[in-house]
Amino acid sequence: MSVTINTRINGQSVSASADASTSLLEFLRDVLEMKGSKLCCNTGECGACTVIYNGKPINSCVTMAADANGAEITTIEGLADGAKLHPVQQAFIDTGAVQCGYCTPGYIMSVKALLDRTTKPTQADIEEAVSGNICRCTGYNKIVDAIHLAADRMAGRV
Amino acid sequence: MEYFEPKSVSEALAVLARHGAEAKVIAGGTDVMVDIKFKEEPGGLINIKKIPGLSGIAEHGAGLRIGALTTIREIETSALMREKLPVLWEAAHQFASLQVRNTATIGGNICRASPSGETLAPLLVLDARAKLAFADGEKSVPFTAFFQGPGKCSAGVHGLLTEIEIPYPPAGSRGVYLKHAVRGAMDIAMVGVAVLLTPDPGKNNIQDARIGLGAVAPTPLRASKTEALLRGKPLAAALLKEAAALAASESSPINDQRSSAEYRRWIVEALTRRGLEQTWKAATGKEVA
Repeated sequence: MSVTINTRINGQSVSASADASTSLLEFLRDVLEMKGSKLCCNTGECGACTVIYNGKPINSCVTMAADANGAEITTIEGLADGAKLHPVQQAFIDTGAVQCGYCTPGYIMSVKALLDRTTKPTQADIEEAVSGNICRCTGYNKIVDAIHLAADRMAGRV
Repeated sequence: MEYFEPKSVSEALAVLARHGAEAKVIAGGTDVMVDIKFKEEPGGLINIKKIPGLSGIAEHGAGLRIGALTTIREIETSALMREKLPVLWEAAHQFASLQVRNTATIGGNICRASPSGETLAPLLVLDARAKLAFADGEKSVPFTAFFQGPGKCSAGVHGLLTEIEIPYPPAGSRGVYLKHAVRGAMDIAMVGVAVLLTPDPGKNNIQDARIGLGAVAPTPLRASKTEALLRGKPLAAALLKEAAALAASESSPINDQRSSAEYRRWIVEALTRRGLEQTWKAATGKEVA
């Protein structure tokens, strides 16, 4: 059964239909052709599909597309301001936190949600914020460095 | 696949009366969406998230009431929960990842009736009850009688869990939830043990011990023989050892990809010992004699 979904994605109103069994990730990638959020485990374990849903990071692969109705969603496509990258994106590049890059959009959305919650995250806040994101390349240290750098830059400390 | 978005409990019950046998209730979706993709698609989805009034944590008499749609993150970030029911708070805190905690609901974790459901052993030791809505009225079922097998619970295919009622633990009691998994985050528990221990007023003997075991039987269970063994006695080293071994014998774990049955029994023994030791110390200020 097809469901009509009226939602806001990256500040734009969107209206489209999808089958009731469609996940939010499938809706983004296959219906709206927004390929930035990544399909990886498809079971809510790896975080590559993370988007911000009403201010909170969630796994879009295990969220019903129908639940986007009336919601405010931010995806990786919504972060850069034209050619100017979001500070979290820039920090990931500057610290070398990106290797193959497949997990990166999900990480960046988790970190964006963290830095929206707090401008001075503790090590524990950081570890909690990205505990649902898996990276198989970097060994995580560079990612944590990137998060500290992004937090410091966004708060004007560096 | 049919899709329903009931706007009230009575509307949901009407849909369940017609379609409960083939349709699935969905809330957060973190389990049901995985089933749709990797197992089989149900005949329909009944999305209950649009029903108002099923979310939130509130004090009611000498206990808390939690709406079935309350997310695990809401439980984890509730100061009231952390203060009053730390055993359940701990389970919410150790639950999967932040992304999952933001969407998964306590009602979903309960009605999934997975033996390894993170909140279930804590609910068992807290003597919590499920408030269920049926077409012919409401029922309040203690969680000790709620779970009937993997995926099977008292809500059946026509009932709806609306609320969880949790009385405050006895004065002077201390509780703990211990989870054994390979990774700190995300992993499903190989074993989860909840212990709630109440000493007598003189803090000399165990007045009441409640032990909940998760992931080691077809349903989460209370280790009732172990609880009976402990009642009325001081926690001496020999008793602790005997109780831990008895708890392991009360479990009936399976071999699966997460661990062998034998290993799980060892872990039940170790976590029961650790849980009793910790709660005894915290509640009496005494070491195990």
